[in-house]
Amino acid sequence: MAEGGDVDWELSKENIQPLRRGRAISALHQALSQQQEGDSSAINQQRQAFESELRMYDGDDPLNVWDRYIRWTEQTFPQGGKESNLATILERAVTRFTEENTYFDDPRYVELWIKFAGNCPEPLDIYRYIQAQGIGLKQASLYIAWSEQYENNGNYRKADLVYQEGFKKGAEPHDKLQQFHKALQARVSRQVMMNVEEDDSDEEHKQPERVSLAELKSRGKKKAIAPINRVGSAIRSVHSGMQSHAAPALGNASNSKLVVFDENKSHAGPSEPKLEAWKAPPTSKAKENKQKPGVWCDVKIPLKTKFGHTLMAPPPPKPAFQPFVEESDQPPTMTPCKINPAVNTVLSARKPCREETPLKRLQDHHQQHNEAVSGKPQEQSMYCKELLLSGATEFCFEELRAERYFKKMRQEVGGQKDEASASASN
Amino acid sequence: MSLFGTTSGFGAGGTGVFGNATTDSHNPMKDVEVTSPPDDSISCLAFSPPTMPGNFLIGGSWANDVRCWEVQDNGQTVPKAQQMHTGPVLDACWSDDGSKVFTASCDKTAKMWDLNSNQAMQIAQHEGPIKSIHWIKAPNYSCIMTGSWDKTLKFWDTRSPNPMMSLQMPERSYCADVVYPMAVVATADRGLIVYQLENQPSEFRRIDSPLKHQHRCVAIFKDKQNKPTGFALGSIEGRVAIHYINPPNPAKDNFTFKCHRSNGTNTTTPQDIYAVNAISFHPVHGTLATVGSDGRFSFWDKDARTKLKTSEQLDQPITACAFNSNGNIFAYASSYDWSKGHEYYNPQKKNYIFLRNAAEELKPRNKKW
Repeated sequence: MAEGGDVDWELSKENIQPLRRGRAISALHQALSQQQEGDSSAINQQRQAFESELRMYDGDDPLNVWDRYIRWTEQTFPQGGKESNLATILERAVTRFTEENTYFDDPRYVELWIKFAGNCPEPLDIYRYIQAQGIGLKQASLYIAWSEQYENNGNYRKADLVYQEGFKKGAEPHDKLQQFHKALQARVSRQVMMNVEEDDSDEEHKQPERVSLAELKSRGKKKAIAPINRVGSAIRSVHSGMQSHAAPALGNASNSKLVVFDENKSHAGPSEPKLEAWKAPPTSKAKENKQKPGVWCDVKIPLKTKFGHTLMAPPPPKPAFQPFVEESDQPPTMTPCKINPAVNTVLSARKPCREETPLKRLQDHHQQHNEAVSGKPQEQSMYCKELLLSGATEFCFEELRAERYFKKMRQEVGGQKDEASASASN
Repeated sequence: MSLFGTTSGFGAGGTGVFGNATTDSHNPMKDVEVTSPPDDSISCLAFSPPTMPGNFLIGGSWANDVRCWEVQDNGQTVPKAQQMHTGPVLDACWSDDGSKVFTASCDKTAKMWDLNSNQAMQIAQHEGPIKSIHWIKAPNYSCIMTGSWDKTLKFWDTRSPNPMMSLQMPERSYCADVVYPMAVVATADRGLIVYQLENQPSEFRRIDSPLKHQHRCVAIFKDKQNKPTGFALGSIEGRVAIHYINPPNPAKDNFTFKCHRSNGTNTTTPQDIYAVNAISFHPVHGTLATVGSDGRFSFWDKDARTKLKTSEQLDQPITACAFNSNGNIFAYASSYDWSKGHEYYNPQKKNYIFLRNAAEELKPRNKKW
């Protein structure tokens, strides 16, 4: 078995996602062998057990269940992927406790946020968001993960600023933060050195080569004429042509223009971190079309210019059918808008957004919570919604009740003999 | 003659027989109480098929039992027999000849109950509790369809311990309905799968849910030629979708409507939304009944898109409902549906099954027959 396990692990290394904490080799063997045998029932039962524990838990540390659930998921699904459902669980877990201040500086909660950010398309937004929420401000791990994210994006200056922020907030453990900060500085300076060396060796040994997609310095005074010699000094900058936002910083780094951080100077210097506080969570994507929604059928569009050319195609004829629109598809504030427009103007002007990112959902959740606290909800669900939806998957009433029933049975029977309870407790 | 066939005082007769259950709100509609109801929440109700003379009602409960009553023409109910599972019973159905009853339970088994011999035997096994059970009668085969929380749909020849077919579903089965040759299963995560049953069961189509919240109940309806043509799907948030499988004009023909909500449409108080617990179609008129967590039942005409009637509010949720084979009796069960979790569960509270004359109230309006 052990040998077989070794082979499994050797054969599927590339499928195993690295974990910050590393993996238990025994759990890995088990997960891999289970997957090979296609035996998912044990996994399903364990998952079910976690899901029901989430709902039945009545102790004072609900985060504990989530934490164990997420660790188990990571270990059981080494490949990650959709079936592990990890992204959903993480999202539910972090959302679940956004109002519970007691957890804000709990290392486990911060760890969940870091994992969650790692699963998001825009981790930096998440870090800024939780900073604004006041989550994990005293946790060194947050600043380390955040800084690493900046470093991966090539923004060494910001990466450093994040550490400064951490020091300022007195994040614990201080040693760890300092150690990682030193490591960052070492990496940056080594890279600068290497770039310098590389540059030297390049010029000595290699023929200048033409670079694709590089921007050339133009010759000529009035007309810009591309130079005939298109290597070396004729190229404006190797790195800034076609690259996007993160690139300029990277370009700077490789051109060794990076200002190496000096601790002594920075205290008084202008490099005071300007991590602006976020009052509200960021919008997920900048919205391009800012035109207010309005009635379009009355708008006159000039169809012809003075030359008689058609500027725009005529609008398509009105469809003969009535498109199906579910009633609740309209923004929910439309109806109440009639009654109380003064309060809801901002909200009613917004169209329901199709785009769904984790951050967007978080933001919605936050907003809903605020609305529920401040204003009156228009509708209220008369069932235990939080119980049905509190896990990674939804439960129905009967499932909740059945879990309760099985628990009672287990207690009564004492875990022996009765078939139903025995199989349920596995 | 049958009192169920006439409009005259079936309800009044019932209260006469069963005494003055008037002042408290457990029976505000003054309907006939079924004698010796189950000791715990009633999960399902089903009337005997038209092939059987007389009316028999079965009801499954969270007290692990299935009971059978004979409903006499004068409205009196006589408890006939009962069978036990080792876990709560979640669903039950009749065979087409009415000789057998099939029951599905949280104990992960399904049983066949022979009413003639009063013997029950296990006919199905799942890896999770079985949420739905249906009898399928096709020209070339007959079988039992079970949908389970183990994410499988299985088809059982009642004589073999192994299923004739097992279909994987994307999620746990929450509710299902069968009208040959169509079966529809609604699952967790708002899944909706239609199966065709001709020759042998096979997946026909997966449908994007017309609803935004958890699926709770589904019922197939028929067209004028008595062929299944679509289904009504109820959600946990007071809404029912009417969905045709192949409508001439999908945008127009499919629609959803709100139900089982408090009347607070004036916005000073928020509107309370309750779960739709069950849907049942009238076998003659094609109108439908919905029952909800709010303790009300409502009758609807889906073609005219109007509400025919809403009941007074009972003091408990209504968990199940059924029409008898000729559509004269409407049975509904009043018991706790767990909609507010176990804190609100009162084991001392009595459960009821009521019978109501449905002959007139479910006639579609403005229709020339």
